Amino acid sequence: MEALGINYTLVAQIINFVILLIFLRLVVYKPIVNILEQRQQYIANNVAAAEEERKQAEALRQQYLAEMQKAREEAQAIIQQATKAGEDKAQEIVEAAKAEAQRIKESALEEIAREKEKAVAELRDQVASLSILVAQKIINQTITPEIQHGLVQEFIKEAGDLPC
Amino acid sequence: MVKSLEEVHEELNVWGFPHHPWEFTLGNTHITLNPKTLVMTWIVMLLVILFTVSATRNMNMKRPGKLQLMVEEIFLFLRGLVYENMDPKKGAGLMSLIFTLFIFLLFSNLWGLVPTMMSPTADVNTTAGMAIMVFFLVQFMGMRYKGAGHFKHFLEPFPFFLPLTIVEELAKPVTLAFRLYGNIYGGEVLIAVLLGLLGLNTFIFGGFIPSVVWLAFSIFVGFIQAFIFTMLTIAYISQVVKEHEH
Repeated sequence: MEALGINYTLVAQIINFVILLIFLRLVVYKPIVNILEQRQQYIANNVAAAEEERKQAEALRQQYLAEMQKAREEAQAIIQQATKAGEDKAQEIVEAAKAEAQRIKESALEEIAREKEKAVAELRDQVASLSILVAQKIINQTITPEIQHGLVQEFIKEAGDLPC
Repeated sequence: MVKSLEEVHEELNVWGFPHHPWEFTLGNTHITLNPKTLVMTWIVMLLVILFTVSATRNMNMKRPGKLQLMVEEIFLFLRGLVYENMDPKKGAGLMSLIFTLFIFLLFSNLWGLVPTMMSPTADVNTTAGMAIMVFFLVQFMGMRYKGAGHFKHFLEPFPFFLPLTIVEELAKPVTLAFRLYGNIYGGEVLIAVLLGLLGLNTFIFGGFIPSVVWLAFSIFVGFIQAFIFTMLTIAYISQVVKEHEH
């Protein structure tokens, strides 16, 4: 041992080292471990917060998407409803117009029939009078009013059978 | 112009340290101590304390200072090594020892590069002390986690290998001590030899270049040896605390 140069300095060095170890353990070690733990905690919190925010953002996105989809569907429904209402209205108007036209046509036909009736009656009267006039001329005024009246009636009857 | 090593050492001894161990008798024990080693150790201890304490005052979590960052990085590096090699539950209690060991050895190794100073690790007493401490620590950790079963590994794979396994176990602290001592002491001797070989007139013609190169290499060696000693300590402890996989 002496030849190697080993003496009690060895023991002293171990004691020195143990003193240093105790000192560093008490004074230095704890702050280092604390600060590292704090940093680890801080980073873990940040990561967790970021994850949380990402989830919230995703939820908001889903919500907005759903709302947008709903709004789009509602708009579609409103448009469809409006289109249907418009079509119904148009149909109604066309129906009313048709009915009106029918009514006008019928009243016009009635008017025409009435006018025709009136014209035919007038024509009959005139034709009868003219015929009598002609007949009077022809018969040289030999006819009595009774005979004339009988003739007129007969003529009217015949004329009524004419197609006009 | 070439000086002997003794002459160089004599010239470098500007602080007047005695050449022989300090001897006294306490009770019945004859005690010898190397004064230069002890004084240098105390200086290194003070430097370590100064460095670590100033690094850990006013620590800031979000904006670490330069010193704080250095200490944190050393600590994290060592913790990574420990946690890689053993169960973190077992390793956590060792961290203060590993941290102190590394930083003390690193400062010791580098302190010898300061002119007229000496590395505490250039004395075999320091390295042997550290190695013996590690040896007992390894035995203690083995018994703590395995009880008497710790000594079973001396009989494996065959009981008649017992002498070999004992030699193997004892070789660990011896190699730990002499690896570190040899590297650092050799480095210091070569510094002195280069100083002795190259006189002042040689320096004018670039003779300082070998010294500069050797100092740079010694810084590297100081880091590497402190790392190796710490790494081997971790490895030896992890060997005895790990569960045997059957």
